[in-house]
Amino acid sequence: MSTLSYKKLDAYSTSGDLPDKMSVFQKCLQEFNASPINAKKCRQLLAMLLRLIYNGQAFPSQESTTLFFSISKLFQHKDESLRQLVYLTTKELAATSQDILMVTASIMKDIQQGDMIYKPNAIRTLSKILDATTVSASERLLKNAIVDKNPIISSSALISSYHLLPIAKDVVKRLTNETLETIQSTKYFPPNQYQLHDYYATNNTNLPSTSFMYQYHALGLIYHLRKHDKMALMKLITSLSENNSSSLKNSLAVIQLIRYINRILADDEGMINVLYPILSSFLKHKSDMVELEACKTLIGYQHLLKDDQFMQIIGTLQKLSSVPRTATRFAAIRLINRIAFKHPEKIMVVSTELEDLIEDSNRSISTLAITTLLKTMGAGSIESSSGVDGGENVDRLIAKMTSLMDEITEDFKIVIIEAIENLALKFPSKYKRLVKFLNDLLRDDGTLELKTSIVGALFDLLKFLPDAEAKELILMNMCEFIEDCEFTELTVRILFTLGEEGPLTSKPSYYIRHIYNRLVLENAIIRSAAVVSLSKFAIQCGGEVSDNIRILLTRCLNDSDDEVRDRAALAVKFLDSKQKKLLVADTQFDLGALERKLTNYLNDEANFNVQFDISEIPIITKEELKSLEYQKKINRLDQPVHETVSDEEIGDNNNKKNKSTESGENSDSATNELLKQQEYANELSTIPEIAEYGILTKSSSTPIYLTEKENEFVVNVVKHWFIDSGKLVLQYNITNTLPRSVLEDITVIVQSDNESYVEEFVIPLDKLGPDQTGTVYVSFSIPSITEEDSDILCAFGNTVAYTNKDIVDDDGTVDSEGWSDEYQIDDLEVEAGDFITPLYNSNFTSVFDQLPNAVTSVVAVSNCRTIENAVTKLKTILNMMPLDGSDFVSSDTKNHQLRLLGKDTWGGKVASQIRLAETGGKVVAKFEVRSETSNLGTYILNGSF
Amino acid sequence: MGQSFSGIFNRLWGVNKEIRILILGLDGAGKTTILYRLQLGTVVTTKPTIGFNVETLKYNNLTLNIWDLGGQTSIRPYWRCYYNNTAGIIFVVDSTDRERMDVACQELHTMLKEEELQESALLVFANKQDQPKAMTAAEVSKVLDLTELKDRSWSIVASSAIKGEGLTEGLDWLMDVIKDEQLQ
Ligand SMILES: Nc1nc2c(ncn2[C@@H]2O[C@H](COP(=O)(O)OP(=O)(O)O)[C@@H](O)[C@H]2O)c(=O)[nH]1
Ligand SMILES: [Mg+2]
Repeated sequence: MSTLSYKKLDAYSTSGDLPDKMSVFQKCLQEFNASPINAKKCRQLLAMLLRLIYNGQAFPSQESTTLFFSISKLFQHKDESLRQLVYLTTKELAATSQDILMVTASIMKDIQQGDMIYKPNAIRTLSKILDATTVSASERLLKNAIVDKNPIISSSALISSYHLLPIAKDVVKRLTNETLETIQSTKYFPPNQYQLHDYYATNNTNLPSTSFMYQYHALGLIYHLRKHDKMALMKLITSLSENNSSSLKNSLAVIQLIRYINRILADDEGMINVLYPILSSFLKHKSDMVELEACKTLIGYQHLLKDDQFMQIIGTLQKLSSVPRTATRFAAIRLINRIAFKHPEKIMVVSTELEDLIEDSNRSISTLAITTLLKTMGAGSIESSSGVDGGENVDRLIAKMTSLMDEITEDFKIVIIEAIENLALKFPSKYKRLVKFLNDLLRDDGTLELKTSIVGALFDLLKFLPDAEAKELILMNMCEFIEDCEFTELTVRILFTLGEEGPLTSKPSYYIRHIYNRLVLENAIIRSAAVVSLSKFAIQCGGEVSDNIRILLTRCLNDSDDEVRDRAALAVKFLDSKQKKLLVADTQFDLGALERKLTNYLNDEANFNVQFDISEIPIITKEELKSLEYQKKINRLDQPVHETVSDEEIGDNNNKKNKSTESGENSDSATNELLKQQEYANELSTIPEIAEYGILTKSSSTPIYLTEKENEFVVNVVKHWFIDSGKLVLQYNITNTLPRSVLEDITVIVQSDNESYVEEFVIPLDKLGPDQTGTVYVSFSIPSITEEDSDILCAFGNTVAYTNKDIVDDDGTVDSEGWSDEYQIDDLEVEAGDFITPLYNSNFTSVFDQLPNAVTSVVAVSNCRTIENAVTKLKTILNMMPLDGSDFVSSDTKNHQLRLLGKDTWGGKVASQIRLAETGGKVVAKFEVRSETSNLGTYILNGSF
Repeated sequence: MGQSFSGIFNRLWGVNKEIRILILGLDGAGKTTILYRLQLGTVVTTKPTIGFNVETLKYNNLTLNIWDLGGQTSIRPYWRCYYNNTAGIIFVVDSTDRERMDVACQELHTMLKEEELQESALLVFANKQDQPKAMTAAEVSKVLDLTELKDRSWSIVASSAIKGEGLTEGLDWLMDVIKDEQLQ
């Protein structure tokens, strides 16, 4: 037999071609039903079957069931290895087979009997076989297995219980004591643990006598049983971290503990005082993973830490960034990089280490080191106000980057390009050197992807850098670039941008010449773009320039390409009729809304009777578009690797859905907010009473919770403003978390403390079963801002009223008798920020100076100990955009000026210049608010801070 | 010499061959108790069998593969998945459960109609004879219509799994019949 065919027949092979599914299926049926059973053959067949399954080959329900039953017959054979394979396969087939309960008794027997090698396999398979009706029969078994002295058996029982949570939470809850006992216990591998495998048998010195892994599993289970009970959770955490946390010996368990601490903090930052000592005790640990996790968690709460506390984290990261293990160094530099996003000045102390890391043999590490250092350059510029110039540093870094650029792949180059862009955006004073670096890079060879990213970065700088000189520098470089650019699409984009920006510069003719060259030298696609671009110069520059361009365009009427001719003809026509608006648009449709409305329209032919109504699509001005883009950019800048506290709710679909939408929002919050807004508008327009209100002006972005998230009822609310018709609709989303109650006739009683808010109607909710969420709408008419003496701020008291009916049996039958009850939830406030959306402008001072209505006032910002806290608070409450990098607060400063800009719901601009000073742990703010809409400034200052 | 002689014996008798026996009957009849009484010689505490138990045991030099299938209504439909290759059926009846005697009768006759079981011998245990109100084997035989059975070796034995009475007697009969049939 040749080696080749021998290999082919190797049942346990994991490489090479997959065996044929149908023939494996047939052979399995034949062998498994034979009498007596040939254990060896069956093992081989099961291995092949598993390989098929692991490679994604699924068996349809009927075949799977047939296989399942024939495999169940193998329980008659006592061969241990065969039994293990039976379990592995049964576990895989359980999902696709019918009537899997048939193996329950056999599995339970294996679990009850002595210390078989396959006992853990049996336990794990059991959790896949049980359903809600049979699970209670396994309670005793699981209890015994959890406290078994064999750690492997204990672990498998813990994991199985975890997987049973969704179908039998009650039963699993009764395992709490056993699980708690296990966390703190010490279990050793059985003496024969390593004899089972040839490899260890010959190599049995220094083998660990336990891994303590069951601690990790037990902790994971107990967390799920206790997570809704904060007190119990805190007790668990403190008891496990007592005595310098010696009770948890498994580092995964410690990491998990740190994550649970993080979840508590995410819910309630006030706990930091209690939890900080625990977290900081993990900053020095024998496992680097634990140290990293502790650093990571603490960094998430850096705004709550004192400087010396923070330095401890830096100290640990400093140590970790020079260990031999690459993964650890990478993780450490990633965390340092994350600190740099908010507080570059705090990592100045490790800049020597960072510079060393540029030379790291791992390119991911060296790239991260560079992007991190780039951020500290920004911080340097803040300090440079006191005289020290960061210029030297920047030059040195750029020199290092330039030499590194030759060595790294394009992916890394793109990362660095983004970092440079972000730096230049945040700290415009550094732009010159950085723009030069980008320009040089643009001239080097590179693929389309690389060039696109450089051009993209330059475009952004063009848009957001306030300096006219910077703009021209970039534009001129682009002109040079397209003289010799092999990528049509990039050239087209650049031509478009030249048309947008060029006419506003000091020497348009320079650009016109370069664009004209394209008309002569390039392909039809580029020529048509050049035509459009030129026409923009013509309409805006006027005079001789305009006439000359008209001549050029007339020549294009003879172009060999249809599109070029058409565009030229159109441009000439518009020029002659002075239709400036048709050539240069200063507004555009909200493309997201347009797409959605069009899709809706096209989806139903019945719509075609009526013309598509374009007037329903919101129009966005260039300025607003810029705000959105800027916000998007800055958000990406502020959230490097967004760590969502992922609280996995197994079996809780509701929650899962929320989670996925949440993380979606993080990725691109501005666009998503727009989409969300449209979703709300669509939803509300289906309710006849509310549809009458007309256009929805604004909805509050994230739902505001009026209860704890683990309450019997969880209520959150969204405010919908209809400014044109003077209405406010409160959307109360109510979730019934009581497992055994049905709520009926649910309504919300709302009391307003401002009598200008008059309740108009309530749309109550008929019924809410366990774990269901429903909505109650309450509508108000609102005061008008233009009237003197009116007050638009308000607080609402909220009470949920309902009839409670118990569920009396497992079929969900509801008791016909119920009782009515009321439940008071938190108040809801209308703040000035409700009427404002953030707005971007590269020149704050000129906007500020031009706004007519000015008010000033001095207030103390409550509950804020640092200026940084106050900045965050003010920008959230007022819902305005911080400009000129003024939301960046150097940690050691006592004085700060915050500049905020926004647009109000009446269409006017509003700007605030706020001087903040910190004295004795208190922050005082001197406000100067200017607005187009009269009175708005007063409301802003009347709000509570 | 001795080796070759036992070789012939084995071939005839198939020591290597396992004899498949099914224990069937309504839930609570005493099937699981009987299985473990035969295997371990003691009375075990049982829970309703969700699925089946299978045990291999040596009985008079024979290797028996005994399948005890759960008797609940929900599990009965799956009995047929295990009929293939069955040499003998042990049908256990709770002799005190007069109310469900006709259900037992129905299940028994439905099962016996199965193609795969035409060659299998039938042993009925009229179980729980230790109970005062138990029906006698003859009475059970009558309600189960056993006399109607044609072309099948069958027998009914009064038993008590708890006391261990009647079990060996019944099994001995079953082995004899199976032996005979296989020798033919
Ligand atoms: N008194 C008495 N009880 C028995 C006898 N055999 C079984 N049982 C009891 O009947 C119940 C059901 O037995 P089990 O073996 O689980 O029945 P299965 O459902 O047919 O497997 C258990 O409580 C047994 O102790 C018997 O011969 N006499
Ligand atoms: Mg049973």
